[in-house]
Amino acid sequence: MNNEIWVFVQLNGQNVEPTSLQLITKARDIAGDRPVVALVAETESMNVEATVKEYGPDKMVILKDDQFHNASDGEIADALDQVVTDLKPNSLLFPATVLGRSVAPRLQAKLKTGLTADCLDIYFDGDDLVQVKPTYGDDIMCEIICPDVRPQMATIRPNTFKAVKAATDTETVNYSFTFHPEANIEVVSETPVINSAANISDAKTVIALGRGANNEKVIAKAEKLAGKLGGMVGVSRPLTDNEGFSHENQIGQSGNTIAPDLLINFGISGAVQYAVGIENAKQIVSINTDAKAPIFDKSDYAFVGDADEFMSALLDQVR
Amino acid sequence: MKIVVCIKQVPNTDTVKIDPKTNNLVRSNVEGIINSFDRNAIEAALELRQQAGGTITLLSMGPDSYITSLRDGLAMGADSAILLSSRKFGGADTLATAYVLSEAIKKIGDVDLILFGRQSVDADTGQVGPIVAEDLQLPQVTFAESLELQDNNQLTGHRLLDNVVQEVKVKLPAVITVRSEMNSPRYETPLNIQKSFEKEITIWSENELAVDPTQIGQAGSPTVVKRIFSPEKAGRQTQMLPNNAKDAVAQLLADLNN
Ligand SMILES: Cc1cc2nc3c(=O)[nH]c(=O)nc-3n(C[C@H](O)[C@H](O)[C@H](O)COP(=O)(O)OP(=O)(O)OC[C@H]3O[C@@H](n4cnc5c(N)ncnc54)[C@H](O)[C@@H]3O)c2cc1C
Ligand SMILES: Nc1ncnc2c1ncn2[C@@H]1O[C@H](COP(=O)(O)O)[C@@H](O)[C@H]1O
Repeated sequence: MNNEIWVFVQLNGQNVEPTSLQLITKARDIAGDRPVVALVAETESMNVEATVKEYGPDKMVILKDDQFHNASDGEIADALDQVVTDLKPNSLLFPATVLGRSVAPRLQAKLKTGLTADCLDIYFDGDDLVQVKPTYGDDIMCEIICPDVRPQMATIRPNTFKAVKAATDTETVNYSFTFHPEANIEVVSETPVINSAANISDAKTVIALGRGANNEKVIAKAEKLAGKLGGMVGVSRPLTDNEGFSHENQIGQSGNTIAPDLLINFGISGAVQYAVGIENAKQIVSINTDAKAPIFDKSDYAFVGDADEFMSALLDQVR
Repeated sequence: MKIVVCIKQVPNTDTVKIDPKTNNLVRSNVEGIINSFDRNAIEAALELRQQAGGTITLLSMGPDSYITSLRDGLAMGADSAILLSSRKFGGADTLATAYVLSEAIKKIGDVDLILFGRQSVDADTGQVGPIVAEDLQLPQVTFAESLELQDNNQLTGHRLLDNVVQEVKVKLPAVITVRSEMNSPRYETPLNIQKSFEKEITIWSENELAVDPTQIGQAGSPTVVKRIFSPEKAGRQTQMLPNNAKDAVAQLLADLNN
């Protein structure tokens, strides 16, 4: 056992998934004298080391094999199990992306350790990694620890922390392992999503619609306004039942964390599960007919009144 | 095709409160319902049974009150249900829950397909499905948004990763976790509700399963909840805009442009 904090570096095609870099920064912030190690699994032709290094891990442990191209969750978990079982990190962090949330629990099952999902904060209390995650209900957070088993594992919500570059002497270890192909599964293809650049987590302006703005007229206006402002439309959870919206558009605990320069909330009450997703927005404007709506406490500007009226006025006055 | 759908019962509310004295979640007096994503998993099973024939068994670990949601699942059209219920199973985290479910699936035997919801809305982890897949050494397609039967022992699924849609082929037996995008769960018909009361719900405790006592319940759970709390939110200085929408927008735009 050592006292290293490892961060799994997820790759999206040729690029590093941004949460992984955010986690390297966060790990450095809480590390004290614990070394921060980036764990990279990539194909022979890939070389993300230069990018990862810029964020200042003390060490990079690199697994290279061409079969990582289109690898299954089980294959990735098997490769990680080999190096983790051998080198025994103290803690192991994953981005709470679809991939992270699929691979980490398989690895957890192999290691017979704990895994806390979708954390919004982590810190050390002695040797315990305290993992802070939201749980059911209004304003409830849970602190979870894994006192007796190592590694301590967590997946961490994308865009919860900011990635900051840091200069360090980074040691590079090429770890040799055996890629074990999984027999009964094949990743046939990976097709880039057409407007993948337009991810709500990256949008600079977000027009968010809730149950109080859930009608076709307002939605159409919101799309128009988003177009004018170069932004995107997001929704609270109830609206993901609408034809045109899905989980990809959802803001909040079980949706996306957003960090736009400007967020305008229309007809959203401001339940905590929604509110945790918008904390990092720079300016928040909210429109709600109920002067007591909790969303107003979380806003820089409040308009007590009708969503449609305010939207129309905005459309008129924004050029 | 022999299908098992793992379902969890969750409180039917968005606002569970903390008891200020005990610091525990107050869950009493809240009606239990099927975790919404698990209804999508049941629907997926019903559609596959329609194509390939076979049986659907619902499987849930929890207290006896979980019979409510098993009964609901039977009313959607599942054939039978098993409740894994014992004091010894209590206090389980994802690892211990998945272990007991896996052992039950082994006991059911010859299962071709195990379906899960993408995550439960209370624990919100999405971990139980992949852990079961690992425990049973089966391939998994998590967060699936479509599922097609190729022939009787192969499925093709699509799942949305961060920037790509992945097409995955799996041979059965396999584990799938289902996103709500996959389907719209059907409503229970009066006839099916009536029929559901004729279907048996089997109850298994640790005595019926070959479980290692150190791997179940609290004993088998590496994680410990240290504290539950309501966070103090750093409030923002909120500026009220004028009551008239036109003036409000004018003031807002002037402010934002500064
Ligand atoms: C485990 C869990 C996870 C969850 N995750 C999420 C999540 O990720 N994201 C999320 O959004 N929710 C999530 N929820 C649900 C959340 O608790 C709330 O139920 C949801 O956010 C409420 O959405 P809303 O504000 O749009 O609707 P409501 O709470 O119904 O609020 C509608 C608001 O609109 C106002 N209004 C009505 N008419 C008008 C009008 N004409 N003009 C202006 N205002 C009007 C009302 O005053 C009200 O405040 C989660 C819940 C749980 C239990
Ligand atoms: N106690 C349980 N009994 C049966 N299935 C469960 C249980 N807990 C979780 N599941 C299944 O695992 C999925 C993911 O749950 P979770 O990992 O808690 O988010 C759920 O959608 C259910 O299909």
